[in-house]
Amino acid sequence: MTHLLDIRNVSRRFGGVLAVNDVTGHVDEGELVGLIGPNGAGKTTLFNLISGFTPLSSGTVSFDGKTISGLKTNQVARLGISRTFQNLRVFPNMSVFDNVSVGAVGALPQGALGALFGSFAGGGARSAEISRRTWEALEAVGLTHVAGELAANLPYGQRKYLEIARALAMQPRFLILDEPAAGLNDTETRALADFIKRLHGTGLTIMLVEHDMTLVMSICQRILVLASGRKIADGPPDAIRRDPAVLEAYLGVDA
Amino acid sequence: MNVSDLSAPPRGQGVLIPLLLALLVFVGLPALLAGFDRGYFYQIANLALIFVLLSASMHLVTGVAGLLHLGHAAFYGVGAYTAALLSTKFGLGFTATLPLSGLVAALIAFLVALPTMRLVSIYFAVATLAIGQMLYLVMLNWVELTKGPNGIIVTKGLELFGFSLSGRLATYYTVAAVVTLCVLAIGRLSHSYYGNALRSIREDDQCADAMGVSTARLKMEAFTLSAFFAGVAGSLWAHMTGYISPGDFKFSESILILAMVVVGGLGSLPGAVIGALLLILLPEGLRAFGDFRNIMVGLVMFLSILLLPKGLLGEVSALQLARRQLGAAWRNTVKGEGIGWR
Repeated sequence: MTHLLDIRNVSRRFGGVLAVNDVTGHVDEGELVGLIGPNGAGKTTLFNLISGFTPLSSGTVSFDGKTISGLKTNQVARLGISRTFQNLRVFPNMSVFDNVSVGAVGALPQGALGALFGSFAGGGARSAEISRRTWEALEAVGLTHVAGELAANLPYGQRKYLEIARALAMQPRFLILDEPAAGLNDTETRALADFIKRLHGTGLTIMLVEHDMTLVMSICQRILVLASGRKIADGPPDAIRRDPAVLEAYLGVDA
Repeated sequence: MNVSDLSAPPRGQGVLIPLLLALLVFVGLPALLAGFDRGYFYQIANLALIFVLLSASMHLVTGVAGLLHLGHAAFYGVGAYTAALLSTKFGLGFTATLPLSGLVAALIAFLVALPTMRLVSIYFAVATLAIGQMLYLVMLNWVELTKGPNGIIVTKGLELFGFSLSGRLATYYTVAAVVTLCVLAIGRLSHSYYGNALRSIREDDQCADAMGVSTARLKMEAFTLSAFFAGVAGSLWAHMTGYISPGDFKFSESILILAMVVVGGLGSLPGAVIGALLLILLPEGLRAFGDFRNIMVGLVMFLSILLLPKGLLGEVSALQLARRQLGAAWRNTVKGEGIGWR
């Protein structure tokens, strides 16, 4: 069978630096996969290559059997890949509701004519669907009570969930979370872990980059390890914990 | 909270205020104008309305989509010249030139947008400045077509399907009706999910892209749509005043329209309307102060930026937008492309 996400011999060069070096891997439908590695291992670059943010130097990425390398970021997104960002990127001067609605309207575009003649040209049904998806996503992360609030006014933890809600409003098939636990305390991280597990429970395929080892080890079914742009391990958490190459990359010891 | 109760976005949607505004524009003001019965007041009212439309159209591209547009008056000029030329050379009346002016301005905006829309931040602003200047120079120097600095006298007044509407009150009503319809349309565009997609481009265009928003296409649409409405305003101006010249559409007019949107508050349509009224009526009201009035108007603008960084009703602070636009100009792109392109 074909994998949902298939990465083949993917490389990305920035000047003289090979940020991602000949990485091959896959994610299957319904999996919850972690991507770990020391700082500068190329994790975020790999995410950017998948989501079309950064063009590939070589290799191919395919999604659901279709080659997506070379597509524009917004085209990749509309195929059902949505993401959050390492450094929070909510739309600060928009309300929480409007933030999340951008995810919904991105996946389900409303044109100028639809906006102008909404209820006459069948645009009413689309608006209603966008609104429904937006509320659904807000409900999923528990932010309905602050829907009218300006995003900039939310505390940090809620802005994290806002970003996830915006990604969920796209009703993606594949969700990429870039360091969702960064900046959260232990209690918040545990709550986030539960939340991610619940999301995964709804059948969503998820890949997350994370520094918090306990989080990754406790919720991921499979873990990919990058070091200096190369994939050095790929397997279930238990195997990764004992993998000598991983231990060496992280601790610099010959295990 | 039940999800099904919340089908509409959380926005205050009153009926009272629009109704009062409609009464003011279509009953109160005309009654006052008829009462005073002075041509000068009619002129001011019509001019203010036309600038309300110009400001509202710029709100769409600069306030909502966040594109710093420095050549808006040129598209206003394209509309006015289209109306004037169609009327003097082909004998077309206002009914035909109104939509045609909008369409020609939109077409030209679309064509110049094709190579320009990939430019980001300050480079885009400079490109629109150049476009505005080019169009202005065409109006000024293509003497065979535009009669250059002499301008064009438009003999046909306002009419609708053959009915003359060139009386003072009829002219006011026509201008008011067209402007109201256009502002309502702009309101629908900016207060919709389409408008939210445009706002997301203003906030963070790369992130918007990752959410599936076709940023390049939407920027183009916002630019073209705003030019359409500016063109419509141009046609109103040409038929209303009966005389147009390139001076009406020069750079300082673009800046005036930009100032209206900024003073009113970037991203707010009511703000754009109030900003336009303020910057048209204030200089008129201050005529008693002679040449000092220009300084006073400048002072009002300066103070409004200083004390009200978000303008009167804005969603986003002008300084913040400018800082980001200027800041982005010196940001290195990871893609290794030339700076200023995306």
